[in-house]
Amino acid sequence: MASVQFSNLAKSYGDTPIVKEINLDIDHGEFIVLLGPSGCGKSTTLRMLAGLESISGGDIYIGEELVNDLHPIERNIAMVFQSYALYPHMTVEQNIGFSLENLKVEKAERIKLVTNVAEMLELTPLLDRKPKDLSGGQRQRVAMGRAMVRSPEVFLFDEPLSNLDAKLRGQMRKEIKAMHKKVQTTVIYVTHDQVEAMTLADRIVILNEGKIEQIGTPKQIFDQPKNTFVAKFIGAPAMNIFNLSNPKIQHDFGVSMGEHNPVLLGIRPQYLYLNENEVKGVEKAAFVDVEVISSELLGASRHIKCKYQDQTLVVETASHDATVKGIVRLYFNNTQIHLFDENNNTITH
Amino acid sequence: MKISIKKDQLVAYVIVALGGVIMLAPFYFMFVFSSHSNSGILSIPPPILFGDFLVENFNTLIDFLPYFWHNISLSLFVAVVVTILNLLFCSLAGYAFAMFDFKGKNFLFVGIMATMLLPPFLGMIPTAMIMSQIGWMNDPKALIIPAACGAMGIFMMRQFIASAIPKELVEAARMDGCKEFKIYYRIIVPLITPAFGTLGLITFIGTWNNFMGPLVVMNDMKMFTVPLALRALQGTGQVPWGAVAVGAAIAVLPLIFLFMMASRRLIDGLTAGAVKG
Repeated sequence: MASVQFSNLAKSYGDTPIVKEINLDIDHGEFIVLLGPSGCGKSTTLRMLAGLESISGGDIYIGEELVNDLHPIERNIAMVFQSYALYPHMTVEQNIGFSLENLKVEKAERIKLVTNVAEMLELTPLLDRKPKDLSGGQRQRVAMGRAMVRSPEVFLFDEPLSNLDAKLRGQMRKEIKAMHKKVQTTVIYVTHDQVEAMTLADRIVILNEGKIEQIGTPKQIFDQPKNTFVAKFIGAPAMNIFNLSNPKIQHDFGVSMGEHNPVLLGIRPQYLYLNENEVKGVEKAAFVDVEVISSELLGASRHIKCKYQDQTLVVETASHDATVKGIVRLYFNNTQIHLFDENNNTITH
Repeated sequence: MKISIKKDQLVAYVIVALGGVIMLAPFYFMFVFSSHSNSGILSIPPPILFGDFLVENFNTLIDFLPYFWHNISLSLFVAVVVTILNLLFCSLAGYAFAMFDFKGKNFLFVGIMATMLLPPFLGMIPTAMIMSQIGWMNDPKALIIPAACGAMGIFMMRQFIASAIPKELVEAARMDGCKEFKIYYRIIVPLITPAFGTLGLITFIGTWNNFMGPLVVMNDMKMFTVPLALRALQGTGQVPWGAVAVGAAIAVLPLIFLFMMASRRLIDGLTAGAVKG
């Protein structure tokens, strides 16, 4: 178990910067998720930490040690790859024990460690099988076992669940969380799936175009986005954002153009209600009138697409509101509104 | 509609069968001629069934080529060693080109590929001069070292490794503490056995049949390889065609055996990576 520190970490390919001066402190035993859209530099950051990618600038520390130029094995970290990267010609037992073999651990000790990990991950009956004879979930567990067996100081996960179906993803999320609870090792997990990030992370790091946009707990990220990128990226459906140049919008949402001079206004689809009594935390709810365009049923919830002041607005509501049509009134709590300045940064109010 | 498909198939079968007959005929006649006397072979029409002159032809062969078994052994030795060296060096080079990023990689690869554009005959005289200067004339090293690694083999291995082995596998091995050479022999080699089979066969057959290479560096009859030894029979006044056919039949037997054992692998290897499996 160790802390990890990125200090002005940078990576560029030729003249193209991919990661731009990232500064991040990760505590012992913390579960950190790097979240961002494709091409934001999250996997590159992880690979630089793993030692699979050279760094163009800055420093990486694991514990107190500067690891910039260390071989991957000298960093004492383990990685679970997106494609699992299991050795196809080796059995499950050989796959899990391969790192121990390289570390010249004695055979008896090796077998003991592999058996322990296999038991922990319920892989014992599969030890003699080859990867091609395993299901996606089993392969994923073998990949985790391979990472766990040598008790690394840091676990790295590079989009490990993206090849699994939705049901298995949910199950594996629980297993990863349980594993973290059991081994209490520092975990750095890369994903573009915000559900994974929200459910697994102690803290989420939102990356965009090689820069950190925000670091915070899942709740902080969701409730207090630092800027419009985070506000729109986190949450599904995305936050409704309106331009405040329209005086009607200013009036409806009760925005006063004071010293902060807000330019954009945002409100999450989950915080707009069809009934006034659903609004919590205020005596009298504010409201806007909108025109319903369409609605989509998503099982337990329904997304209603509306037109408001020539802009589109989405409301997430319970599925029994199927008959909503025409002009409707949407209620909300004014404190759940987000205001952004001309640089797209949140105005704290 | 069904009938027209069947007709198409019939035409295809006839063409393939004709091609097969054309390709197999020389082999058949080689075996038939090995059992006939010179006059029988040169008669018109030539014999199409086996005769009873096999032992005489074999004795003639041994009379003309007293080192025939040595020639066969030398051919076998050279072919086996060249094959092993090709598998080793071509797979190492192919692995490096497929999996590593280094300065000048593309330039180097294009340079190696460009050597395939040169006709092999172009290197004959320089090779003979070099071998003569370093004292390797009539030495198997003169056949083995220049052929130890080839552009075609490097290209084949590089393509196979790039298409069949994901980079993540190598990275996972690195994370597991594997050093680079161990990654090669513990991870890469077991996964490229189909390519080894194909390249091994191609190299063995090419080396076994090589005529021009030994011609310029071997002038002692004892150090002749099989193709060279059989060619020597034809410079002896009246050519003993029956003995030539016996020698050729013996020379071709290892190849037929090898091909029958490994033809499936050869075809698999040549088409590997061509389509997504």
